[in-house]
Amino acid sequence: MSRQAPRRPVTAGAILAAAALAAAVAIPVFAGTYYVRVITGIFMFGMLASGWNLIGGYTGYPDFGAAAFIGIGAYTTGILMLHAHLPFAPALVGGGILSIGAAAAMGSVLLRLRGHYFAIASLGFMIVLQQLAANLDITGGGSGMNLPVARSFTTFYYWTLAALVLAVTAGFALPRSRVGYAIAAIRENQDAAQVLGIAPLPYKILAYAASAFFFGIAGGIYAYWFTFIDPPTVFNVDFTIQAIVMTLFGGPGTALGPLAGAVILKSLDVLLTNISVFFHNVFFGALVCLLVIFAPRGLAEIVRARGGLIEAIRADLRESRI
Amino acid sequence: MNAAAQIALQNAVNGLLIGGTYATVAVGFSLVWGTLNVVNIAHGALVMLGAYVTYWLFSLYHIDPLLALPLTGAALFALGYPLQRFVINQVIRASFLITFLLTFGLDLLITNLALAAWTADIRSVTTSYSGWSLTAGPLALPVVRIASLGIAVLAAALLHLLMTGTRLGSAIRATASDLEAARLMGIPVAHVYALTFALAAATAGIAGGLISLSFPIYPAMGAGYTLVAFVVCVLGGLGSVPGALAGGLVLGLLQTYAAWWLGPNFDNIVAFSVLILVLLVRPAGLFGRARRFRG
Repeated sequence: MSRQAPRRPVTAGAILAAAALAAAVAIPVFAGTYYVRVITGIFMFGMLASGWNLIGGYTGYPDFGAAAFIGIGAYTTGILMLHAHLPFAPALVGGGILSIGAAAAMGSVLLRLRGHYFAIASLGFMIVLQQLAANLDITGGGSGMNLPVARSFTTFYYWTLAALVLAVTAGFALPRSRVGYAIAAIRENQDAAQVLGIAPLPYKILAYAASAFFFGIAGGIYAYWFTFIDPPTVFNVDFTIQAIVMTLFGGPGTALGPLAGAVILKSLDVLLTNISVFFHNVFFGALVCLLVIFAPRGLAEIVRARGGLIEAIRADLRESRI
Repeated sequence: MNAAAQIALQNAVNGLLIGGTYATVAVGFSLVWGTLNVVNIAHGALVMLGAYVTYWLFSLYHIDPLLALPLTGAALFALGYPLQRFVINQVIRASFLITFLLTFGLDLLITNLALAAWTADIRSVTTSYSGWSLTAGPLALPVVRIASLGIAVLAAALLHLLMTGTRLGSAIRATASDLEAARLMGIPVAHVYALTFALAAATAGIAGGLISLSFPIYPAMGAGYTLVAFVVCVLGGLGSVPGALAGGLVLGLLQTYAAWWLGPNFDNIVAFSVLILVLLVRPAGLFGRARRFRG
């Protein structure tokens, strides 16, 4: 859509992005520890949502098992640090790489399935890994794993920021690349894409592996940050659902939508959690229901719609109800 | 009979008995999926609610769990109708991601509300006959499980009769095969959808009641049963009651034998592996008709 866009807004966008990045880099210098932690959490979900958007938004394959790669990244980072005595950075990269490998292997099977079948098979994949982690020796089984304690928290902030920038950049670059055109064709009509000579599976695997990489990195950072991991906390479907809801809320298949969704919803979530943990849990369930009923195509679509908010919501409801 | 054969036979019996419960879990899920094209992730949460209704009727009013099953079914029917009529019907024609996500949200809501109301404590329904067991030669046959299997088959048979022999069943099947044509024939489709979902919720409630007799219950128990229902549907083919029954029994047998060979902690791994294998090799299910599954 923006191929014929005038040059000026692009430059303005670049300046704005550079300013935002500079501000983000400077935050730990003047913000207190509490806020640095909160913002790290927001960035982490921004990265998860942007990563999920690559497979779920651009490619149209709703991965309900994305947390499988959070678990893989967390456990790989933990095992490499504990048993191989590697420093955090190479251990984290190892987690990211193993996530890519696992996604490529599993994707070559799962991505042959369509729709509901892919959604629940990907979810099943995560449940299997959770059960596997609970039964293996190297993961510490059900009693989990303790990682060394980091010296400074700011490290996590910068790692998360770097991964977030990479994820958002991937979201920008993908739809403007050859791979992106192929993926868009597969999303819109896979059979037609095949007729045009696009072999769908390798492209889908590429998007799935890229998405898995960001979940793996998030898992590795999470493990070192919280220093304790066990199967239910990292192989946790809540991570996936939050990433999906944030993506849908902000606008799936857009570069900045998932990040915007993460910033808005995670901030709201932090406020609600401060009031009560019960709210936090019920909040996401209720939010998911309201969102899909009233704004199934995301906030961006509704804000952009002509005739105002109410009319846009009405049109969506008319279209999908019986 | 030698010892190995005896264990193998006992495992077959155990597998068939648990398979009956799986079938009861799956018939409603299959009905909703086949008719409404909704994969109801909250199905397991409805099973959980059924288990708690049975539990509270038993511990507060001392109503026998087996006799309470019609009440449990009715309670879930009453919950299921408005849930479909006023919530899921709003997005029923949207893309599958939307309906999938909506039922996911409902699952989160129901599970977390149950957690807030009843805590995460693990409870169980223990009746005077819970420990009873019949013996047939060398085999042990727990009375509760046999009753569960009997009720599972009975419920499946009733649902099958309803679907094939009544006007409501015809309306449900007509709506499933062509929504617009059914509407033109004067079928009130919104009402039929809601009735279908309510029926499915009732069977989920009955399944929960049966489960509470043999297994511990807790608010988060539903997720595993949703996966079971999905695997059973893939095995048995969609929307067919006999298919769900057969799929449930097959999964029960597979899991019991896998637990015997691999140890008890691999049930999900086995279920998932079977799921993937069947989807890739025989995507219409072991007993199903051809559909579009692959990409």
